[in-house]
Amino acid sequence: MTQNEKAAKAKKRNHAIMIIILILLFILFIMPFILVIINVFKTKADIVTDPLALVGAHGFTMQNFPDAMAKMNFFNVFKNSLIITILSTVLTIFVSAMASFVIVRNGKWKFCSGLFALMVASMVIPFQVLMVPLVSVYGGIFGVLNHRITLILMHTGFSVSMATFMFHGAIHTNIPLELEEAALIDGCSRWQTFWKVVFPLLKPTIATVAIIDAMAFWNDYLLPSLVLTDKALYTIPIATQAFYGTYSTDIGLVMAALLLAMLPILILYLFLQKYIVAGVTSGAVKG
Amino acid sequence: MKKSTVKKLLVAMLSFAMIFAMAACGGGSSEGEEASSEGAAGALKIFNSKMEIQDVFESDLASAYEAEAGVPVEVYYSSDTVAAHLSTKYASKDPYAVNMVDEKDLYSLAKEYGADMSDMDWVKDTNYAVSVDGKVVGYPVCVEARGIIYNATAIENTLGEKFDPASIKTLDDFKALLDKLVAAGMETPTSVMKEDWSLGAHYLAQFIEEREDVDGYVASLKAGEAKVIEDPKFNALMDTFDVLKDYSMWKGQEGSAERELSEQALAEGKIAFMFGGNWDFAMMKDFDYTGGAGMMPVPQNLEDDYTGKLVGGGSKYFYVDASEGTSAETQQAAKDFLAWFASSDTAHKFVSETCGMVSPFGSNTVTCTDDLGASVKGFADADMLIPNYPGFPDDHYSVIGAEMQKYLAGQCTREELATAIENYWKAQA
Amino acid sequence: MNRNTFSYKLRQILMFAGPGTILFFAVVVVPFIYGLYLTFTSWDGVSAHKPFVGFANYAAAFSDGAYWVALGRTAIYSIFAVVFINILAFALAYLVTSGVKGQNFFRAGFFVPNLIGGIVLGYIWKFVFNRAYVAIASAITGGMAISPLSTTGGAMFCLIFVSVWQYAGYMMLIYVAGFMSVSDSLKEAAMIDGCTPSQAMRNVTIPLMRSSFVQCIFLSITRCFVVYDVNLSLTKGEPFNTSVLAAMHVYNQAFTYKNYGLGQAEALILFIVCAAVGITQVMIGKKGEVEA
Repeated sequence: MTQNEKAAKAKKRNHAIMIIILILLFILFIMPFILVIINVFKTKADIVTDPLALVGAHGFTMQNFPDAMAKMNFFNVFKNSLIITILSTVLTIFVSAMASFVIVRNGKWKFCSGLFALMVASMVIPFQVLMVPLVSVYGGIFGVLNHRITLILMHTGFSVSMATFMFHGAIHTNIPLELEEAALIDGCSRWQTFWKVVFPLLKPTIATVAIIDAMAFWNDYLLPSLVLTDKALYTIPIATQAFYGTYSTDIGLVMAALLLAMLPILILYLFLQKYIVAGVTSGAVKG
Repeated sequence: MKKSTVKKLLVAMLSFAMIFAMAACGGGSSEGEEASSEGAAGALKIFNSKMEIQDVFESDLASAYEAEAGVPVEVYYSSDTVAAHLSTKYASKDPYAVNMVDEKDLYSLAKEYGADMSDMDWVKDTNYAVSVDGKVVGYPVCVEARGIIYNATAIENTLGEKFDPASIKTLDDFKALLDKLVAAGMETPTSVMKEDWSLGAHYLAQFIEEREDVDGYVASLKAGEAKVIEDPKFNALMDTFDVLKDYSMWKGQEGSAERELSEQALAEGKIAFMFGGNWDFAMMKDFDYTGGAGMMPVPQNLEDDYTGKLVGGGSKYFYVDASEGTSAETQQAAKDFLAWFASSDTAHKFVSETCGMVSPFGSNTVTCTDDLGASVKGFADADMLIPNYPGFPDDHYSVIGAEMQKYLAGQCTREELATAIENYWKAQA
Repeated sequence: MNRNTFSYKLRQILMFAGPGTILFFAVVVVPFIYGLYLTFTSWDGVSAHKPFVGFANYAAAFSDGAYWVALGRTAIYSIFAVVFINILAFALAYLVTSGVKGQNFFRAGFFVPNLIGGIVLGYIWKFVFNRAYVAIASAITGGMAISPLSTTGGAMFCLIFVSVWQYAGYMMLIYVAGFMSVSDSLKEAAMIDGCTPSQAMRNVTIPLMRSSFVQCIFLSITRCFVVYDVNLSLTKGEPFNTSVLAAMHVYNQAFTYKNYGLGQAEALILFIVCAAVGITQVMIGKKGEVEA
């Protein structure tokens, strides 16, 4: 009895300590975000003067939002970013999950192990190294730049290695081989087994890859700026580049654009979080 | 449970396929738009690398030109470095017709790709055109100069007497004034920025630029013959630098000398002097600017032919692309635009009033609206500008700027700085 | 069905890995090979002429002292950053999956730094270090504190700090997925068998999360070795070029100093070093991986 009480007390105390640590870390992590919110309602001069002040000397202003939206042609670039991000993310998940499946289950085939090693190694290449050769080939030789589909395929090509790497780990450790064998015995083909058995079990990893890739595509500046030169096709990061200069940065507009742009990713993240939990409790693994 | 997952998955795949098909169509239609816009109108593509004017360039000037000349203009900007951005444009064989670059880039980019503009009318109207291999390829966008920026209002309010920048000729004059300002309550009347380009490319470069035979001096530096520490110009400038540093609002905090805060302090009259250039006005005017700012030469205890002059000249140049990526008609359209930009009233007003830049063209008589620009214009009109030296290697500002930062932070002596400069140049030989 | 014939293998590979492999080769491998060729030229980055110079760029890279200093600095930065990113990320993931109240709220908060990239991040942290820190430290010590960004060691510390802050939430995502994939029944079984929670963690959860560790450590190594934007927006290499990391040096060499071939060669060396470290880590990690 007393021992149980003691244990309960200790548990409660641990819980309290954990909450305190979490809150402290939480403050550290979102402090810069709070600074963005405070400063987005100030004029540029007030931001420079004192970014900590709640209200600047020139008062509260909403002007940064309409200014930023007008200058970046917000609705059009938002739509472009949305199309490109969604399609690239979906495509990346499909091709990578498939590729990692064949690689994991046939690790002894030389092609598979070689491909995997190549992909892992390629993740280390700084993009700046590839950018000039990339546009030399696809702009200079083939002339296929300036289409959304080119960008989508390139996004996928660049992220397929990391996504494959992550699915590889997930399939390797978390998908029991027996389940697949059972499906094969039941008369499923490999293709059917993958889609009916393996893919649904990958949900937590799919959600993780989706959020990581969607975020990367949504915020990517360098690749889209190389591929899309037609202003009608601009994405959010390209449209906001004129806010940054060598000698001055329009920090108020930058922050307004940032807030406008980050919302979809935050929503996606909150939505996918539930999936990461759901993937486990669906309980098929225990099967 | 499992069945519903499969169903969901099928729906997802189906919708994916549909979106994909839509995207393909979307891609197709955008292709169509693009083809039509390129085929029919043939918009002139201009690359702008002055972020401060991107807005007005795109909205005011582009539409004005379209209205007057009937040629649509598209203005592009990139937050990537100019060299890297243009490198990718050439690699993809999709160059801009008109490119705005720094002078040093002309010697690589315009040397190879620049159209010859020697016979154009604007060349006779300016002192700042740049020729490479005997051809005029560089079209000056504006004139910029560096020196000491002062805030006369702040000085007059502190001292209660009129301030005449021309009265400050030597470092001794300057120091006397600073002491007076301190005595009158302005504790730190100056600022020195910590940016490597400001210290290396703008301040220290003066000691090479302010002499008769710049090329000869650079050659002797490369040969390891010139003794920097014994050079009177170097010492005169560094003496002034020491004074600027001594009275600086950043004294003891040199490493945090943020440019915006210096500009703000100067604009609002909290300090009276700062080393900089007329481009600083773009930021200064956004603060609670007191008015009365201007530019004066860096005072030195060394009277020579350069006393009383600012260092400066053309800044940012247009070149017209003549590579295979730009057709002969487009090149002509680009030249027409530049001719118009140099001579039309609309363009003159745009340069001097809207952008507050100093026009490099004699025919532009519109008053410059920007205080520092007006000041620089005065020096330019009186032929009191010492030309920029274009021969600095590309890494000069970074390597030498870092040495100057060390000196600013008190981490190296003047002798060590001089030795570092000598070593840098010797390695260039 | 014979699963060992060549045609079966080929069909399997084409069917599953075909689309991904084609895209990967098209956008990564092909440009990489072309980039490799460029390291043997003295191209300036813009000219139509790309003179072939053999191994001259590699010789120049090996004698470029500033490059090796930057590379060494990058290695030190990476070691610290990788260790702290992973410790913090794992701790965060543990805390937000342990069933505390409002854990979804916390998860969202820790994720937020990922949404603030590039210049805004640099701007905000510069303000924190240059002004907020200086004001607080001066008030506490009574003297005049100087900004950590203006000292050599301080600037590196700030780079590591901001990288940890930025990537911990990112890696937390992967650790959370790892925690989630370890089924509760296994943990419960271990507890029933008399394990304490910490024993269960050490003996059951962590071994099963091995692939998460391999992934996170690999990802953080690769991110840190080629870090560029934080370096640019936070320190720009200052003070006196003592915080220039390898990627920034390479970028400047290729574009600012217009030695594209040399910059590319230096980038290739960076790539080889980083790939060697990363792949060794993956190999070691995968070897002991527990199969489900």
